[in-house]
Amino acid sequence: MKVPLTALKKGESGIVASIKSSLGRGRCWGWGFQKRLVDMGLTPGTKVTMIKSAPFNGPIEVLVRGYRLVLGRGMAERILVEVQECPRKSSGSP
Amino acid sequence: MPKKKLRFALAGNANVGKSVIFNQLTGLHQHIGNWPGKTVEKAEGTLHFKGYTIDIIDLPGIYSLSTFSLEELITREYIATEKPDLVINVVDASVLERNLFFTLQLIELEAPLIIALNQMDMAEKKGIKIDYEKLEKILGVPVVPTVAIKGEGIYELLKRAIEVIEKKAIKPAAVKYGEEIEERIRRLIDALKDTQLKYPVRWIAIKLLEGDEQVEKEIEKLNPRILELAEKLAEEIEKIHGHPCPTVITSERYEAAGRIARNVQQILPRIKPSLRERIHTLTTHSVAGYLIMALVVLGIFQTIFSFGDYTSELLSDILYSYEPLFEQFLGSGFLKEIIWGGVMEGIIANITIALPYIIPFYIILYTLEDSGYMARIAFLTDTLMHKIGLHGKAFIPIMLGYGCNVPACLGCRIMETERERFLAAFVVTLIPCAARTVIILGLVGAFLGMQWALALYIIDLAIVFLLGRLAFKALPGEPTALIMEMPDYRIPHLKTIVKQTWFRLREFLEISFPLIIVSSVIIKLVEVYGLLKPLSQILSPITVNWLGLPEITGVTLIFGILRKELTLIMLAALLGTTNFQAVLTPLQMFVFTLVVMLYIPCIATIAACTREFGWKKALTITIIEILFAILAGGLAYRFLAVLNLLEH
Repeated sequence: MKVPLTALKKGESGIVASIKSSLGRGRCWGWGFQKRLVDMGLTPGTKVTMIKSAPFNGPIEVLVRGYRLVLGRGMAERILVEVQECPRKSSGSP
Repeated sequence: MPKKKLRFALAGNANVGKSVIFNQLTGLHQHIGNWPGKTVEKAEGTLHFKGYTIDIIDLPGIYSLSTFSLEELITREYIATEKPDLVINVVDASVLERNLFFTLQLIELEAPLIIALNQMDMAEKKGIKIDYEKLEKILGVPVVPTVAIKGEGIYELLKRAIEVIEKKAIKPAAVKYGEEIEERIRRLIDALKDTQLKYPVRWIAIKLLEGDEQVEKEIEKLNPRILELAEKLAEEIEKIHGHPCPTVITSERYEAAGRIARNVQQILPRIKPSLRERIHTLTTHSVAGYLIMALVVLGIFQTIFSFGDYTSELLSDILYSYEPLFEQFLGSGFLKEIIWGGVMEGIIANITIALPYIIPFYIILYTLEDSGYMARIAFLTDTLMHKIGLHGKAFIPIMLGYGCNVPACLGCRIMETERERFLAAFVVTLIPCAARTVIILGLVGAFLGMQWALALYIIDLAIVFLLGRLAFKALPGEPTALIMEMPDYRIPHLKTIVKQTWFRLREFLEISFPLIIVSSVIIKLVEVYGLLKPLSQILSPITVNWLGLPEITGVTLIFGILRKELTLIMLAALLGTTNFQAVLTPLQMFVFTLVVMLYIPCIATIAACTREFGWKKALTITIIEILFAILAGGLAYRFLAVLNLLEH
């Protein structure tokens, strides 16, 4: 099942499936920011674990490739992940 | 024997201890400036080792060599065109995979390379063991383990660096992509072979497949047919993999980095989260995190203002005690007025602001930054900053702005794009700095009560959000999102903090010292020649008719441009009393302070903005803020008079 990265619960993991490009016209994140995400290690097939989500619809903190990455929510919503079955209990630390 | 000269560049991710290594290598022989025409800092230093004079350049901390940010562009251009004798790649041993992703790109750029495998102690604490000799063999690049913060491995690093240069013994192993990609790279290399390039040809071929804007532009100028070929080949790769070609290439590079990392490191799982992890959890907690942040921010202001007020007063008492001495030599005529009242008072103003307020501000700020706490603040304030089109990182320069707008403007460099930097700087200039706080507290706070002073701060915040939002809508370009590494907490390196503080202080003095002294002299001259009254009369339609202020305030507003706190000092001098109650109505005090708070960043801030963004943008900010302040002041005057909240 593919869900936005922001839908993962604390401690849950997912595998990056794709990064949605800009939705329709108007203001959108361009190629630069997508490339940035990939450069930070969020390539398709990478395992991502949710560590926590800041309140008031704030950014999320995930564990990817052994380090903690913070992503603005709007950005993170465009990353689609395949939820992994029976998430292992994670302490949320690299 | 003449000394042989070498040039080394330090490159690596952010938060890997690069600046600590830079400081360990160069000691006091360094200077910090800007890359020509860019708002990116350039740190250079020199060291002597085994008969060599080595210039070290500290390149910005980045994660990739694409065109995402100015820093990335500068780094790759420097390495490819300036061709340093050696690039020291500082690698964080505790996040090996992501760091090697960058290393592989340096190898692709065919940079002569040596690796400083830094923060070995942190890695060990996380249960990571790295076989660095094996890493050296796989990469074909010398690897030296270091703990920069303790100075461990630095000598060995230099020794190996010189060895490598003398023997010319580096044969790095470049990433091999899948055959379907390699084949297309070869075709592009073939097509490129007759063109003159400043970058390595294989690198250009890869970057063309990655759709790198800058490389595409350059190749288009040379031979647009190659660009067409590259686009066609990239499409073919996209069809094979089902993902955009740049993503495919980056993925493979990351796969290669991951393979190497897994091959050389052993990770022992730990049972208990460490102390630094528990602090991390606490400081990003949705309730406790905000409480701690509020305490930290309040603590900073409390410390700085109580320390600052005390030292500032002490220093000015000491410095003013020299006035009789000057009088003795210069008499009390024109010369004394200019030299003491102009030059010396300018110097005193500088010293009594710079030392007591700016030094502690920077020391605290860099300690928080170095320890990793700033990243937590960015995490917690991201939502708030989004309301004005910025992201969490902008909270830091904005906080700096409460101390002094000049360093805060320069601090906007931490934002990634030119647009964000400008937007953040615009917001920063609206933040009441220490000098404006003196007026708010000294006039409104003292005579109308603290609730009115607080009201001014709240109005200011509302205005910041209003104007910030408008500017965000008005400026062309992409909106921004927070993409940030959350570094582990670590103990800050005192020497690095002191040095950073010193360089920032020097930068501030360079900008503000001459301006403040010159402006002090100008004010004295105007005063001595009796031009104060005519100037006020010219401004009276605005001050008297629109803002409802006494005519004489006009001239104080003009001189407030030079130094904000002058408005209050001059007001007292011109009105002949510090008991402002006797000469101003409460409503006038409020309107006057509101206008002073908003109307313009002082001349030193304008200079800082000019330096960062050019005079056109600096002028735009200035004009917008003058007009806005006059508008807001006039409206407040009428509004409050109708409501009858303040006596008028």
